[in-house]
Amino acid sequence: MQDFLESIENSGWASYIRETPSVLGYSTILALHTFGMAFLVGLSGVIALRVLGIVPELPLKPLKNLMPMIIIGFWVNAVTGVILTCLAARSMLSNWDFYVKLTAIAVAITSLQKMRGYAFRVASAPDDAPASAEAKRWAKAMLFSWFVAVLGGRLTAYATNIRIQSAAAVGVAAILLLLLARYLVRYAHRSVTVR
Amino acid sequence: MRWPSVEQIIYKYLWAWGVGQSLHFVGMVLLIGTVGILDLRLLGMAKQFPVAALKKLIPWGVFGFLLCLATGLFFVTGIWANINVHPYVVLQSDVFLQLKFVFILLAGVNLLLFYATGMSRAVDRLAAGEDAPPLAKVFAGASLFFWIAVMYFARLIPSGKFQP
Repeated sequence: MQDFLESIENSGWASYIRETPSVLGYSTILALHTFGMAFLVGLSGVIALRVLGIVPELPLKPLKNLMPMIIIGFWVNAVTGVILTCLAARSMLSNWDFYVKLTAIAVAITSLQKMRGYAFRVASAPDDAPASAEAKRWAKAMLFSWFVAVLGGRLTAYATNIRIQSAAAVGVAAILLLLLARYLVRYAHRSVTVR
Repeated sequence: MRWPSVEQIIYKYLWAWGVGQSLHFVGMVLLIGTVGILDLRLLGMAKQFPVAALKKLIPWGVFGFLLCLATGLFFVTGIWANINVHPYVVLQSDVFLQLKFVFILLAGVNLLLFYATGMSRAVDRLAAGEDAPPLAKVFAGASLFFWIAVMYFARLIPSGKFQP
């Protein structure tokens, strides 16, 4: 298995992408991976914010039309992700953090599909209708899984003890930030309404 | 430009840099997700949304930007503790970091012009299905381009040349 992974890592195209001094090599693949993530996670996150009732003013049904952009984001990430994995196949595939990330992505995508199914099921529902409890449950699962996936992706480069400490610290920071964000956003909305 | 307290945090807590990076990404996703959807609407790709409703997302985008700004300052002021290079040297010699800042500035100027030209108020009145004025589309297209450029050059920063 190691020989097979080594042959992928040392193949001509993998070596070129990894070693070319051109910014169009490794850095651009990495940048495309980031764009895909921003659209996939960002836009599906907006749907989740509406489903959870955090932005109730947003009409629910038109959010369905964001799905093509989300799917493009997913495929950009899938293709660039496979390329990036091939460039460091041995270290990536022996890194448990990488499997945590992949599992989190799988759960997030499943949750997104489930959330979509429940949120957009009733075509005649009014735009300001609250989403069902099932849709909310899947929205929470999706946001949590995306968070783990983004965190896992960032931490693959670190040693195991740093990864564990970082994951715990980010978890605490995330809860605090979420509370702060909710407070600030509600404050901003209140100010706009009063004005 | 070096901030000893920040450097001490990075020296003392091995997880600090990774946490900063993760939060920088979370901020970026919030910013691009919320600003991006508004830009796409103005460009005519999601016309089913009334613009005023989409603008309710902006505080989340602002929060994402502030998160990126705070973590970005953390990286700049504490970079000595991470790679032993003075922040001034990095800022002076890493062309990709400079380009990232240029595009953040351009995105900011674009936003100011969006408000200053009255386009912000004009698009507030757009109901579902209505087309945005051409000038608003220009601002939206520019905004999307600038933020994508910011992400692109941010990813190239480690390939920039900075020598201690």
